[in-house]
Amino acid sequence: MTPPAGEQDLRARLRDVEALLDAVTDHAVIQLDLDGKVARWSAGAQAVMGYSAAEVLGQPASMFYTDDDRAAGLAEHELATARESGRFEFEGWRVREGGQRFRAGVVVTAIRDEAGAVTGLTKVIRDLTAEQQRADPMFRGLLESAPDAMVIVASDGRITLVNAQTDRMFGYRREDLIGREIEMLIPPRFRGGHERYRSGFFADPQPRRMGVGLELWGLRRDGTEFPIDVSLSPLRTDRGVLASAAIRDVTERREHEQRLRRQHEEIMELSTPAIQVWDKVLCLPVIGTLDSARAARLTEGLLFKIAETQAEVVIFDISGVPTIDTLVAQHLLGTVQAAALMGTASILCGVRPETAQAMVHLGIDIGQLRSRTTLRHALQLALTLLAERAETPAGVAELMGPAGAG
Amino acid sequence: MSDDLIPVMRIADTLLVALQGDLDDATVIRIEEQLTHAVARTGAAGMLIDVSGLGAVDSFIARVLARVVAMIRLLGAEAAIVGIQPAVAIALVDLGVPMGHLHTALNAQQGLALLQRLRRSGA
Repeated sequence: MTPPAGEQDLRARLRDVEALLDAVTDHAVIQLDLDGKVARWSAGAQAVMGYSAAEVLGQPASMFYTDDDRAAGLAEHELATARESGRFEFEGWRVREGGQRFRAGVVVTAIRDEAGAVTGLTKVIRDLTAEQQRADPMFRGLLESAPDAMVIVASDGRITLVNAQTDRMFGYRREDLIGREIEMLIPPRFRGGHERYRSGFFADPQPRRMGVGLELWGLRRDGTEFPIDVSLSPLRTDRGVLASAAIRDVTERREHEQRLRRQHEEIMELSTPAIQVWDKVLCLPVIGTLDSARAARLTEGLLFKIAETQAEVVIFDISGVPTIDTLVAQHLLGTVQAAALMGTASILCGVRPETAQAMVHLGIDIGQLRSRTTLRHALQLALTLLAERAETPAGVAELMGPAGAG
Repeated sequence: MSDDLIPVMRIADTLLVALQGDLDDATVIRIEEQLTHAVARTGAAGMLIDVSGLGAVDSFIARVLARVVAMIRLLGAEAAIVGIQPAVAIALVDLGVPMGHLHTALNAQQGLALLQRLRRSGA
């Protein structure tokens, strides 16, 4: 090394060094003053960060941080650490011009004068995105070919990687998701719970389905919500454990389930109508198979109809029941008993020969229950019963008088 | 009786009582005594027990009711339960309380007619 021969030499050397610095275009080399403001901005810095020197000189370096990191005071923390230890290397999120986030490798070095006092800091920032993507093309390929939206989340809850399906499902551009908290994809009312759940996952990273038995919701960029299913798996990498979430839009399935449920209820309603066929006479046409749920609904519907109409006779038309087994017969007789407790007599009709054979073979005792072949005969019997009941001795009506008055 | 729990209404030769609210077991037993004594004292020919105002009927109350009806019959009168509500009827069938021998009617008016009919067929 030859010592500098004069001021001219010194200037030439300085130019050389600056040219050398500007020749580095894939690293942002930034010099900061002690207040953390940008003091020098290399050509590489412009290439990586997008800002020109004129735009950033004198500005605080915290402008390259994400809002969250800035709020957390990360910029100040890094400066302090570098000043104390002389050199500080880490990986984190940076924001380039236009608000795009990228994963950055950062090296901070303290600049000292002859006396050893720190006069400023050098920051070298490298965009790791391309490197990470190159790192494992098979992994990237897998991610992109998955039918579900795949979101890889770091233990701090930040989104590290997403696939194209995620962009489509949630309506964000990929660069708007990377580096943001996963909670941005969740309706606000679930966010607190999700953060706790997330900590739980990283405390014991096991593959699992999220919120089994719960209805999970995703939040699109336009603010709309949609039902999702989420499967979680831990992803062990050299950068620690990541969570890989496979998210599936289950809007169609949920709608389908709801439609099925609604239809089922409608069928239930339709299948147990008690019709008033005469004054104080109800007719209940039983059609189709009678399972426990339907029988319960049938009984309930009939009894309330009895209470409402004060019907004294009910006709069960079972010609539409394909088979009578023990269970169906029990349901039917239970209904007859309940009606009897309320004071209403029952008549069975429409029993087919094979049904009669089956019932006797099964040992089903219909007790006092009367049966008629056709609805017409059943109605005749009902009217006869009513006439018998109405045949009260003269005097009951008068007897009711004093009771009502007194 | 001084400790009558419920008012017993008399319509000609028929007694009418209305059970109301939620009854505990002890009260049910006392009502049972009161009703049998009332039938014996008045020599009534029939009794209607209106249960439409009962909040809930468990198997104990149901058994006591069935018992009262049997006692009244032994005393030479006819008894009928009226106003069993749908939910109560379903519960009684589900509980399997044997109430098949009970005479029931939808309301007091039909109950009176029922008692008249029973008396005629019995006579």
